[in-house]
Amino acid sequence: MIRLAFMTRPGRHRRLVSTVFVSVMTIVAAGPSGAQEPDPLIKLDANSKFAVELILDSAKVEKLPTQPLMSRALEGIAKKADGKKIVDAVRKELGYLRTARSVLGGVPDDELTAAAGVIEVGAKPAQLAAFRTRHKDRNDLAAFTYWADLITRGVPPEDASSAIAKLWQDGADDATFYSLWKSVNSDILQGLNPGAALQNRIRESPGRAPTSKTPPEGPQEPKSL
Amino acid sequence: MNERKVAKLVMTLALLVPAPRGLAAQLVSKVEAGQYSVSDGVLPLSAIRFAPTIQFELPRATFMARGAALLSDQQLQLADGIVSGTFTSPTVYGVRAEMIGNASRALDDRSLGTDQVDVQTRVHVLFHQHGGLWFGGGVARPWRVAVISSADVTDAGLWAKVGNAAAKFGGATMTATFTNFSFNKIASVHDTGSASLSCASIPSTMSSTSGGIRALFSEVSSGGACERQSRFGDLEGTLHWEWSTVELTAQTGYRFGDSYDVTADSRRWSSATATIWLTDRVAFVGGGGRQPALPLRGLPSRTFGMAGLELAFLPISKGAVPVSLPHAILVKSFEVRPGATGTQKIVIHVGGVETVDVMGDFSDWSPLTLVRRGRDLWELSVPVSPGMHRINVRVDGGPWMAPPGLPTVHGGYGGDVGLMIVGEDRSGH
Repeated sequence: MIRLAFMTRPGRHRRLVSTVFVSVMTIVAAGPSGAQEPDPLIKLDANSKFAVELILDSAKVEKLPTQPLMSRALEGIAKKADGKKIVDAVRKELGYLRTARSVLGGVPDDELTAAAGVIEVGAKPAQLAAFRTRHKDRNDLAAFTYWADLITRGVPPEDASSAIAKLWQDGADDATFYSLWKSVNSDILQGLNPGAALQNRIRESPGRAPTSKTPPEGPQEPKSL
Repeated sequence: MNERKVAKLVMTLALLVPAPRGLAAQLVSKVEAGQYSVSDGVLPLSAIRFAPTIQFELPRATFMARGAALLSDQQLQLADGIVSGTFTSPTVYGVRAEMIGNASRALDDRSLGTDQVDVQTRVHVLFHQHGGLWFGGGVARPWRVAVISSADVTDAGLWAKVGNAAAKFGGATMTATFTNFSFNKIASVHDTGSASLSCASIPSTMSSTSGGIRALFSEVSSGGACERQSRFGDLEGTLHWEWSTVELTAQTGYRFGDSYDVTADSRRWSSATATIWLTDRVAFVGGGGRQPALPLRGLPSRTFGMAGLELAFLPISKGAVPVSLPHAILVKSFEVRPGATGTQKIVIHVGGVETVDVMGDFSDWSPLTLVRRGRDLWELSVPVSPGMHRINVRVDGGPWMAPPGLPTVHGGYGGDVGLMIVGEDRSGH
């Protein structure tokens, strides 16, 4: 073990060492917790930063989530987007969140963000109305996510909206939405018209999620052993 | 300033240096084990070779330690060991600088070894992402060999890449290099025809050596050797071809220099190695050929053959070829699996690239570098809260793109982003 010479001397040197040690430890201990978190928007020019902060304040006042707004700003910074473009994107996001809130009311932040994403890609606010009725133990994240993707891939917004809303009302689960999305996506990649791909697949899609334990009515074929 | 004040100042400053936040470091390793046969008259004719490697990577620096041991006649013999550090600058307008430092020891019998420290800088220039060139220079300082001065090393190279591992006929990278060595070495007074012999400047610090130069040192002891300025250049061509799970590397070279510096058995050489990936982490490796003498290491030329297994995977050396590839088609798959509490393991399959990064709202859009776990397997565990997250991926510092297999939306900043759903107790798709 290394011992510095002044550490071995009695009296005031020990006190001096103790004082220095305590001071340093205090600084070190206070450092991480007392240090200011770096401003994530510091890389924005002053005008853009001010504009984004105003938008964030507006969201707070309206009790809208600020995380998706900040995320949109940080995404722009990471991708070296122009300050004006970043402000524009954050402002639009606030608008989508407002619209989604006005239709859906009080839903969890992540669902509100996903709903805003659907409006962003071209769905009409009224088409969100089907999701206003809340279902216990059901989460509409998957529905919103695949809905937004289908529109992004070229499925007409009306077709995508009515298909997703119908499935939701019929009680489809996440796996059903995923299966539909995967099939349509596959057809589109093979060259099928996006609208036609959705129409074809929605016909094959089960109208109701297989959650019912009631046996189907009508004659049943005997099981072969 | 007295000793106490200096000590206090150093202690205080050392404690005040903040730990790097979000250090994107990764540790990778591999082990090779196999049968190795060689005919150089010094190493055992046939042995089992173990060659563990460990590498620590930072965004702009890589530190590596590697060793090799031979098991022959039930005795384990160290063959060589190296520690290495590489620092790279960001690529600006297709130009990248690199600094490499190595310290190594090579043992060509059970007791004697040669040491070397070398430092080299390189400048890489990329052309259209399918080719480029580099040039550089450095200094190598060997010990306990016939070379008794620092060696000036200059090198330049060209590379070109066609196709990629996923293409119908795979991808090939062709590299041509020329490396020039200039140094002073011990020569026998019986060497004639050399204009640069000096018989008055043999240093007295030489103590021991190995291999085929013992005779020379005997001459030194008896005043029968001279110091000689030596120079030779290696022209080398390499072809590396990858297709599916197969990799082939063939190398050939020619050494320029007069007959006093280049022995006949090191004038030409060639070798080939095949790697067949059995799984993401295990490969069969086989090969053979001839290697030239390495005067700076005191190693004679040798003919070798080897067959063995490679476990795990070491990333492509950043200093080797600054490969930068077209990006969009390379990412084969993307998965998110539940990890330890509160974390998700991001798993990406993409081959033939140096780095894979992701970023998203879960990282406040700061890039996170994945760790290479297999031939084309990249992983990273990262805290991600349940819910929907926007995510991008990139390879080799290229453009950000949506990972395959995820729903996507237009990002608003040019390019798509993926939408990743993370459940309470399950992964996203």
